[in-house]
Amino acid sequence: MNREILIEKLQAIVGRDAVFSRPADLLVYEYDGSVDGAVDTAMPSAVALPTTTQQVADIVQLARLAGLPVVARGAGTGLSGGAVPQNGGIIISLTRMNRVLEIDEDDRTALVEPGVINLELSEETLPYGYFFAPDPSSQKACTIGGNVAENSGGPHCLKYGVTTNHILGLEVVLPDGRIIWTGGRATGGSGYDLTGALVGSEGMLGIVTKALVRLTPTPEATLVLLAPFGDIESASHATSRIIAAGIVPAALEMMDNLTIQAVEPAYHAGYPMDAGAVLLIEIDGITDDVRSTGEEIAAICVEAGATEVRIATEKAERELLWKGRKMALGAMGRLAPNYYLHDTVVPRSKLPATLKRVEEISHDFKLPIANVFHAGDGNLHPLMLFDRRTPGATERVLEASKEIITYCVEVGGALSGEHGIGTEKRGYMTLVYTADDLAAMAGLKNSFDPRGMFNPEKIFPKGYMCGEVRALRMQAMAQKLGIHAL
Amino acid sequence: MPSNGHHPVTDTLTIDGYSASDVQTPGDAFECALMLAEASSLGRAVTPVGGGTALDLGNLPERVDLMISTAGLSGIIDYEPTDLVLSVGAGARFGDVQAVLAEHGQRLPLDPPGGPDATIGGLIATARSGPLRYSAGTLRDLLIGISVAHPSGTVTKAGGMVVKNVSGYDMPRLYLGSLGTLGIITSANFKVLPRPRAEATILTRHETADAAFAFASRLHVAREPMAALEVVQREGDWSVAVRIEGRDQTVEMVRQRISAEAPSDFSSLDSEASATWWADFVSLYRPQDPKTSVLVRCGVRPKDTATLALGIIAAMANAGVTVPYLAASPGTGGVLAELSFGANGSAQTMAEAQSLLLELADAATIVAAPPPWKRGIDIWGRLPDGFDVMESLRQQFDPSRTINPGRFAGFL
Repeated sequence: MNREILIEKLQAIVGRDAVFSRPADLLVYEYDGSVDGAVDTAMPSAVALPTTTQQVADIVQLARLAGLPVVARGAGTGLSGGAVPQNGGIIISLTRMNRVLEIDEDDRTALVEPGVINLELSEETLPYGYFFAPDPSSQKACTIGGNVAENSGGPHCLKYGVTTNHILGLEVVLPDGRIIWTGGRATGGSGYDLTGALVGSEGMLGIVTKALVRLTPTPEATLVLLAPFGDIESASHATSRIIAAGIVPAALEMMDNLTIQAVEPAYHAGYPMDAGAVLLIEIDGITDDVRSTGEEIAAICVEAGATEVRIATEKAERELLWKGRKMALGAMGRLAPNYYLHDTVVPRSKLPATLKRVEEISHDFKLPIANVFHAGDGNLHPLMLFDRRTPGATERVLEASKEIITYCVEVGGALSGEHGIGTEKRGYMTLVYTADDLAAMAGLKNSFDPRGMFNPEKIFPKGYMCGEVRALRMQAMAQKLGIHAL
Repeated sequence: MPSNGHHPVTDTLTIDGYSASDVQTPGDAFECALMLAEASSLGRAVTPVGGGTALDLGNLPERVDLMISTAGLSGIIDYEPTDLVLSVGAGARFGDVQAVLAEHGQRLPLDPPGGPDATIGGLIATARSGPLRYSAGTLRDLLIGISVAHPSGTVTKAGGMVVKNVSGYDMPRLYLGSLGTLGIITSANFKVLPRPRAEATILTRHETADAAFAFASRLHVAREPMAALEVVQREGDWSVAVRIEGRDQTVEMVRQRISAEAPSDFSSLDSEASATWWADFVSLYRPQDPKTSVLVRCGVRPKDTATLALGIIAAMANAGVTVPYLAASPGTGGVLAELSFGANGSAQTMAEAQSLLLELADAATIVAAPPPWKRGIDIWGRLPDGFDVMESLRQQFDPSRTINPGRFAGFL
């Protein structure tokens, strides 16, 4: 199918104003939120913006006929290249499917289209006394469909869990163009948990066209504590002590001195400029509980060396303390023209050692690294500051980033806590997974998308899929015939 | 080499009347994979066995040639209390795991049927949950890593020992509830939580079903911070059980608030008595007369729970079936009921009852039934959407249908 015909056919499905095909219009779809140069890209043939599930299914059918890959995309805020096309093809942008279809107060659920923006869902459900718990830092722009694809987290997943814990059911267009529902309002559905498999599958198994999400009741009371420490070690120690005391805060965030240097002059959140690190701790729940737990946490922090503890109960005060954390990335421009935001996880007890290693790497590679992260769940976000106009700077950043990942894996961590693998980290998959582990993942991929048409070249190491999947198939065939080779 | 071990549980076990001539007890995951591969190449059917508390769950097996017991895969592999994570062998008893966690003031917030004798692997394979689901969710929300032995002879792992992890597909949730049909779970990692500092239970008795559901609904809508909320019918008597957990002062405050709302006929249990009451309640998830009774689990959207519960009782009465026991969870839409067929019980009457249930509920699973009645019946209820994807999954992971052939949804 030549490109003109393809575009005509796409226009016939979604309308003339919902297909982009001029190079200038396509350019932006070659990018997501990842750092330039860290992620490969290839210009898509066209971008289609459907408004209904049937249109999505029709586009998928068309792509199938044309033999073109399909890449689903939300707001493009991803940080691992998940929505960036690798082999061209058709991009299905879901941003026009942005309706909240139903809010069910009694069942505590919402039925939404994938293009609904994360924060807007919480704002819409607030009058009913609910919010959507996953709150990635990009929540003002990112979409629910993207959250599902990436299994997004956010500061509050310490208490409330990640996206998968809040998805009850999905309407999905499969790679063969069929539309199915997985999961649903009722518990106890039969068969494999396809909903669970789809969440976090980075658009490689199906395209979500509706999501039935769980809503969380807004807490009776919320309190935010700010505790500055002389150094990262004592702040980490305080974190462990809080957890050991049997307290699970709603959020427990840490920022180091370099971050404070960038953030405080920008937002005047009140972080002491001379602090080695600050902890930002949020607790929520029943009013009395929140008060007594707050006192307990404050005492632990002081004992662990906090120079003071500020407690904010009023909404405006709390928001100011949070502002510095939520807007931290935006403030980094004060320190350097570019940053590379890393995302790895280590067991909480390995945080102090990992941060020390990050400091060494910063020194070795002559890269300033700011640390702003989810201390409560061991999810690190080292921010490497650089100027990409300096020859070799991007390469140095990627090298340093490899050092950090390698260390995190060595101490029992994971490649990514909330950003996903995409193309950014596919090369590292073999650091944590054996060929057999990857073959199991390929088995899942193959069950949904045997022809590899949805979001190709993601998650699996370069050149992996075809050969390995074939080997797996041959193994399966051999077994069926009773020829077993171990 | 695979060793033929003897295990006190498996020696006496049957699966719907089938007993295996051979029981093997692998000492580690790789040995388990070898046993599976050998069985696969010989065309033998394998049923994995843990604590033997949920062997009734599943369609009639096509064959059982070999049982593989996870008894040799027990023990805590790694537990770091300050990290709130735990790695444990699939054969570990749930009760033993909770005891170890309790020493550090922590727990898995779960109260599954099967109780302390269920194994970790069995709980994952059958995705069981209990009344605590109301506040704490299920195993699905706690599982962070897994290792699985496959009929291809390989052992794979996924996830890890961290609570947030998006490194590749979320395989642990695929294996959860798969009844071993994608592989035998050999170990699992969980996020654990602090134990609540106090708990209490309020039990209320009501004249009618409507009154019981109205009371439960009032508490749910008022968003009382309850750990569990169950409406129970025993031999026609209706009661509501509310579990409260948390810090001492909160538990006391909520207890007083709910007591004030409760009808005059209520009792209140404090910490130990409360815990014991719920442990007993969960263990009653078994048919009273297994020869003529069937245990079913139905699901519906939460707000239709009362309609479903009353609908089941009415529909069964019409069909000449009594419902001596029913437990409904109004917050989650689950209803567990014992259907007593008496002398009229047969494969046909059970099948008719199942179709009635499927008209009332979105999901209806026959959890336990007399084996002869199960012939030809898919106890899992209606075929799920996307079943062909499930067929390919089975084909990808266990092409020779070595593990539990026929027992899973759609006779996979």
